[in-house]
Amino acid sequence: MMLASLCEYYDRLAERDEVPVSGFSQEKISYALILSQDGKLVDVQDIRDTSGKKPQPKALTVPQPEKRTAGIKSNFLWDKTSYALGVSARDGERVAQEHEAFKALHWKWLGGSGDEGLQALLRFLDQWTPAQFLAPLFFDEMRDANVVFRMDGELCYLHQRPAAQALRARMLADGDAPEGICLVNGMRAPLARLHPAIKGVNGAQSSGASIVSFNLESFASYGKSQGENAPISERAAFSYTTVLNHLLRRDEHNRQRLQIGDATVVFWAIAPDGQPAAAAESLFALLAHPPLEDGQEATRLRTVLNAVSQGRALRELDPKLDPDTRFYVLGLAPNASRLSVRFWLANTLDHFVHRIAEHYLDLKLEPLPWKTEPALWQLLYAVAAQGKAENVPPQLAGDITRAIFTGSRYPRSLLANIVLRMRADGELSGIRVALCKAVLAREARLAAIPSREEIPVSLDTENPDPAYRLGRLFATLENIQRTALGRQVNATIRDRYYGAASATPAAVFPLLLRNAQHHLARLRKDRPGLGHVLETSVGDIVAGLGATFPKSLHIEDQGRFAIGYYHQLHARSNGKADAEASPAAFDSGEEE
Amino acid sequence: MSYGIRLHIWGERACFTRPELKVERVSYDVITPSAARGILEAIHWKPAIRWVVDRIHVLKPIRFESIRRNEVGGKLSAASVGKAMKAGRVDDLYTRVDEDRQQRAATVLRDVGYVVEAHFVLTEKGGADDNEGKHLDIFNRRARKGQCFHAPCLGTREFPASFSLIEPGAALPERAGEFEGERDLGWMLHDIDFEQGKTPRFFRARIVDGVITVPALAEAVS
Repeated sequence: MMLASLCEYYDRLAERDEVPVSGFSQEKISYALILSQDGKLVDVQDIRDTSGKKPQPKALTVPQPEKRTAGIKSNFLWDKTSYALGVSARDGERVAQEHEAFKALHWKWLGGSGDEGLQALLRFLDQWTPAQFLAPLFFDEMRDANVVFRMDGELCYLHQRPAAQALRARMLADGDAPEGICLVNGMRAPLARLHPAIKGVNGAQSSGASIVSFNLESFASYGKSQGENAPISERAAFSYTTVLNHLLRRDEHNRQRLQIGDATVVFWAIAPDGQPAAAAESLFALLAHPPLEDGQEATRLRTVLNAVSQGRALRELDPKLDPDTRFYVLGLAPNASRLSVRFWLANTLDHFVHRIAEHYLDLKLEPLPWKTEPALWQLLYAVAAQGKAENVPPQLAGDITRAIFTGSRYPRSLLANIVLRMRADGELSGIRVALCKAVLAREARLAAIPSREEIPVSLDTENPDPAYRLGRLFATLENIQRTALGRQVNATIRDRYYGAASATPAAVFPLLLRNAQHHLARLRKDRPGLGHVLETSVGDIVAGLGATFPKSLHIEDQGRFAIGYYHQLHARSNGKADAEASPAAFDSGEEE
Repeated sequence: MSYGIRLHIWGERACFTRPELKVERVSYDVITPSAARGILEAIHWKPAIRWVVDRIHVLKPIRFESIRRNEVGGKLSAASVGKAMKAGRVDDLYTRVDEDRQQRAATVLRDVGYVVEAHFVLTEKGGADDNEGKHLDIFNRRARKGQCFHAPCLGTREFPASFSLIEPGAALPERAGEFEGERDLGWMLHDIDFEQGKTPRFFRARIVDGVITVPALAEAVS
C-alpha cells in the first residue's frame, strides 16, 4: 500500500509538472563548462548559489545518475570531474578508467547525432587531456565537483536540448531488464534490479539510502538476488523514489517534512477530485509542527483545535478542506545504508485532525506550562537525559507518534521514562507533568471499565486519590520550608526527598511532617498569619488521606503524585501567602 | 464445500512480511494465503493433498507495533555445508555472530485473530487408498486435539499461532466492528509458484464486511 500510494502521489505531481519526469532527477551541480562550436573550451562558469555564507551547488534537473557503489558507470551529459574531465583530488588508475567510461558512453550515444551541441561535446572530448586542467579557467576547488555542459551563446544546457532528451528516452527504453509482474501496480513491465537512492533522511548515508534493498545474503530468499526478491517495475521504482526525494528535499519552503526523534516524517494529501491538496497539507503541518512564538499562526492553531473539540466540521474553517481528502503519513528512520519504515498511516484528514486535537486535550494542564502548544519533538526532549536529542530512547519516538495519530494508548515506557527522569534530575517541568497527565488521562478514557477518578486538569482540592493528595502535601511542605528559611536555601526537600517521597511515602512523609513542625514554629513567631494558613492547608490535605501513608506507590501513582505537586505549586490562592512563594518556584520549576 | 474446513487462528504477534520491505520488515495488514496454507500444513499434510485457501475472516482490528532486533548479515553457504557433510566434521562450519551483526527493525501486527476457510485437493502423488474423506478425518481429529508436525507460526517462526477447529455448523467467533463495508488493501502476495521457478503471484485483496475472498492460484497475477 505504501509504495502504491507514493506512486499515485507521483502521478498527481507529475501532472502538475512539480517533479522530474522519468529518467531525470534533481542533482546538485556546481560548474558549467562552456564550449564553442568546434569543441574548444571557452569558459568555466560557476553556477552555484551565492546568497548564503557559503556557495551552495544549484539543484538542476539532469538525466538520472547511475547507481554506483563499487562499479564504474558514467552519467549522461554531466558527472563529477573525475568522469567528465579525468581530474580528481585522488590520484590513481581509477580516475583514468572513469574518464574512459565517460568518453565511451558519449561516443556510443552521440556518435550518430546531427545536433551541433552534442557534436561540439564530442570534439571537446577528443582534444581534451587532463593536463589541460590549469588556471586561469580551472581551480583546485573544482576537483570532484559536478559539471554540466553548455554551448557558447545559448541559454539551455546540453542535456536540455531536444536532441539530448530524445536520446535519453531511447537510452531508457533500451534496457535489457527481465519482464515480470510489478507488485505495486500489478502490471507486466521490465523489473528494476536496483532502485534509485533516497536522499534527505537525517542520519542516513549522505550518498542515499534504500527502502527496498537486498544487499546482504541474509536478506534474500528462495535463491533470488537483488531486485528479484521483490519484483517492482522500473517505472514504479522511479516514481516512488523520485516523489520521496521530492518530499524529503531540504528546502525552507518544504512544509511537508518534519523530524520526530530519529525518524524523518513526510506527509501528503490526495484530494478526491484531483485538485491540489495544499490546504490540507498546510493544516496538518500547522498541527504537527506548531509555531514556537505566539503570533498569527498560533491563534490559527488554537481556533482549529477549539473548533474540532466542539465538534464543528472542517469545512466551516476553510471551504477548501474536503473532509474526504485521503491523508498519508510516513516515518522513515535510518539504519546505515537502509531506511526502515517507523510508521505508515493512511486515513482521512478528518481522522488525523481529530486525533491530534485529542492529544492536545489529553496534554492540557492548568496553569498552562507553555505559551504555544508543544510540538512532538519538544515532548521528546523532556524525556531525554539532559534534554539532548541523542538521549531520547530510540523506540519511543515512533511509538508516541503512532499513538498520537491512531488514537491508541501512549506507550507505557513513556510514563516510566518520565517518572525516572523526574527522580533522576529533580526537574519537574510543566511538559513532563503534562505528559504524565496525558498518559493517565488517555488510559482512563480508553479503559473498558472506568476504574479510577478522572485526572484533574487544574487543582482539585476535593480529589480523594491518595497519590494526588500526597503530591499536594509535598508541595505544601516545601512551601512551608521555603517561607520559613527564606529563598536562599541551598537544598529544599524537593532536591533531597522527591524521589523517595514519590516512591515510598510511608518512609519519608512522617519525617517531613516532623520537620515541618519546626518550620511552622518559626513561622508562628515571624509571620503568624501565614503560618496559620499553611498549617490549615496541611491539615486539610492530611484529613483526606486515610489512616496510614501508603507503603509504596506504583508508576501511575507516581505520575499522579507529580501532577498533584505541580497543581499545588502553581495554585493561586486568595491570600498573599502563596504569591511570593509561587513565582520563585515557577521559575525554578520551569525548564524548556 | 463438502471437504472444506474452518480453522480459528490467533496469536499475540504476527509478521506477514511484505516482499519489498523484507530487510526492515513491515507486515501486510492481514494474513497472506500462503501463511494460512503454512499453518494448515503444519497440522496435517501429505504429498497426496494440496491445501487451497478460500476465504479469510478478519476478527480483530489491525494494529501495528515496532520492535528492533539484532540479527546477522550472512548465511552459511550450501557449498560449505556440503563440504562438511563429505568430510564428516563440522569444525569449520560456523558463523561468528559478533562479527556479522545487523540491527533490523520490524513493524509487526499485534493481537491477530483469523478464521481460515480452506479445502484440499488430491494430487497425483496419492496412492490407491488416498481419498478425500480419509484426509479430512485426519485433519479434523488432529485439529481437535491440537496436534501438529511443528508449531504453526504467524508469518515468521518467532510468532507462534494458536489454533482451534470450528466444527461444521458451529458459529464463527465474534468479529471486531470496524470492518463494515469494503476496504482495499492493495496488491498482496498470494503464494509462491514453486513449479515455475519460484515466481511470486499477487492478487488484489479487499476486505468486504470482514471477509477476504482469495482467488484461485491460477487466477492470481504472476
